[in-house]
Amino acid sequence: MKKLSRLLKIISLAAIVLAAPAAALAQEFQKVDETKKLADNVPAVPFVGIAYGVIWLAVLVYVLAVARGLGRVNSELDELKRKLQSAEAARK
Amino acid sequence: MAGFLVVPQLITSAPLEPVMGVVQKIFYFHVPCAIMLFVATFVCAGGSIAYLFKGSEAGDRLAAAAGELGVLFGVCVLVSGPLWGRKAWGVYWQWDARLTTSLLLFLTLIAYLLARKYGGPGGRRLAAALGLFAAVNVPLVYKSVDIWRTIHPQTTVVRTLDPGMRPAFWASFTLIALVFGILLALRMRLEKARALLAELRLEAEDLLEAQRR
Repeated sequence: MKKLSRLLKIISLAAIVLAAPAAALAQEFQKVDETKKLADNVPAVPFVGIAYGVIWLAVLVYVLAVARGLGRVNSELDELKRKLQSAEAARK
Repeated sequence: MAGFLVVPQLITSAPLEPVMGVVQKIFYFHVPCAIMLFVATFVCAGGSIAYLFKGSEAGDRLAAAAGELGVLFGVCVLVSGPLWGRKAWGVYWQWDARLTTSLLLFLTLIAYLLARKYGGPGGRRLAAALGLFAAVNVPLVYKSVDIWRTIHPQTTVVRTLDPGMRPAFWASFTLIALVFGILLALRMRLEKARALLAELRLEAEDLLEAQRR
């Protein structure tokens, strides 16, 4: 009787060990199906619009930042040139 | 300016891809932006080589401008790609070889800019070395889809493009390449003006010192 009980325990343990990867595999297949379903339900046009918009917005922001920096540096340059000219005139 | 009107029209009228549908149209600006990211990285590396080995200030300015543009186009690639992926794969991001190496390239270019800005006296040399390192990563990013099994489309996509899709792609590429060239020239001008300002400041300091004496 004891032998039978031990044998049953071993069989049930083996069944659990063998079934676990199969269950995991089944779960993975289920996840892929769900993802595909989700992807199919997502409308495409907003994604294209957002991608296109973000690219040109990033370029525009960059152009404005560079133009602003250029304006600031140019005005500083003019001011410094003026100061240098007046300092040199005073030295003479 | 006409390109900004013609290119969207060509993209809209290009034939639909049978599997992905409308979302495949992201391809028309995602790929040119990725090419410009590669070009910017190579230009940055070229300028860095000139600065490191010949001490060329113009090379350093070119590298700085290209490094910044690399980050800009990197943002465009890393925003448009995941948006395309969300619809095509069902997820925004996968730790796929192409995506991961692209992210690494982008982060290296950010490191380049940070080293320039906060690296102290030797920062520009350190940044130049990073610029070279970034260029070494470019072939790996490009070939990653052929070397590893990835979910990202292969490098053969552009070569085997349907004839109906070619005008939209090449028009978009030309527009983005032109924008890249204009931005590079504009950014170089800023860097040149900054260098002149720094030079004049030194001159002014010397003049004031002489007046004090």
